[in-house]
Amino acid sequence: MKAYKPKRHYRWHPGFIAWLLHRLSGVALAGYLLLHLWVLQNLAKGPAEFDQIMAMFDTLLVKVMEIGLLGVVAYHTINGLRIVFMDFGPMAEKEKYIKYLAGAFAVVAIIIIVGGASMLSHALSR
Amino acid sequence: MNLKWISGRTGTFDWLFQRVSGVFLAVAFAVHFIVLHFLGQGTFTYYSVAERLAQPAWKVFDLCFLFFALYHAVTGMRLIVDDYVHSAGWRTFLTCILWVLAVFLFFSGAVIIFSIKAPGA
Repeated sequence: MKAYKPKRHYRWHPGFIAWLLHRLSGVALAGYLLLHLWVLQNLAKGPAEFDQIMAMFDTLLVKVMEIGLLGVVAYHTINGLRIVFMDFGPMAEKEKYIKYLAGAFAVVAIIIIVGGASMLSHALSR
Repeated sequence: MNLKWISGRTGTFDWLFQRVSGVFLAVAFAVHFIVLHFLGQGTFTYYSVAERLAQPAWKVFDLCFLFFALYHAVTGMRLIVDDYVHSAGWRTFLTCILWVLAVFLFFSGAVIIFSIKAPGA
């Protein structure tokens, strides 16, 4: 029997949300890397089989999911660079931290909106 | 040269090279994405992939990209294992699985990168 069970209490600080999203997007990207490498393994089977497998992914659903992938990649990249600048630069200073974090979120939002809109219009026009 | 900071026990190497590989991946990913999705025709066939992979510079690029992506992914997943798996036995087991998987994926990927011939060659 445990005498003391630690109580989980999260304060939803923006930095905690950024950390959580970084971890979740990292796991998603590891999964995608596995899928991506599996698809490319099919290059060994030759042109006919590879093109047949690639045709499987030529659907609207996959194109929409690719926008999600763009979002995950964009977040992990931009937030990752923010972490590097935080570790080696001045971004961790208290009064700057939240501004740079908001900036990183804004850049990711712009990439998702601009990239997503262009990807969606491209997918719908084909 | 003082290499004490590289000690496997402190995690300093993991921390530093997660940043080094991360910066490399950010640049490599930008190149990968722009070349494949903006400069290419947007559809991928055996010939479009083989044509690019036939060039030695792309072989080197993709090999480095594969290596750093796998290193970064394994280090990240291991960080998660260290955080949530409290049994030492399971932690060792899962870490082994991660490295075996990464080495397997690296070599099978390298075989693909080196074996692809230029279309028509």
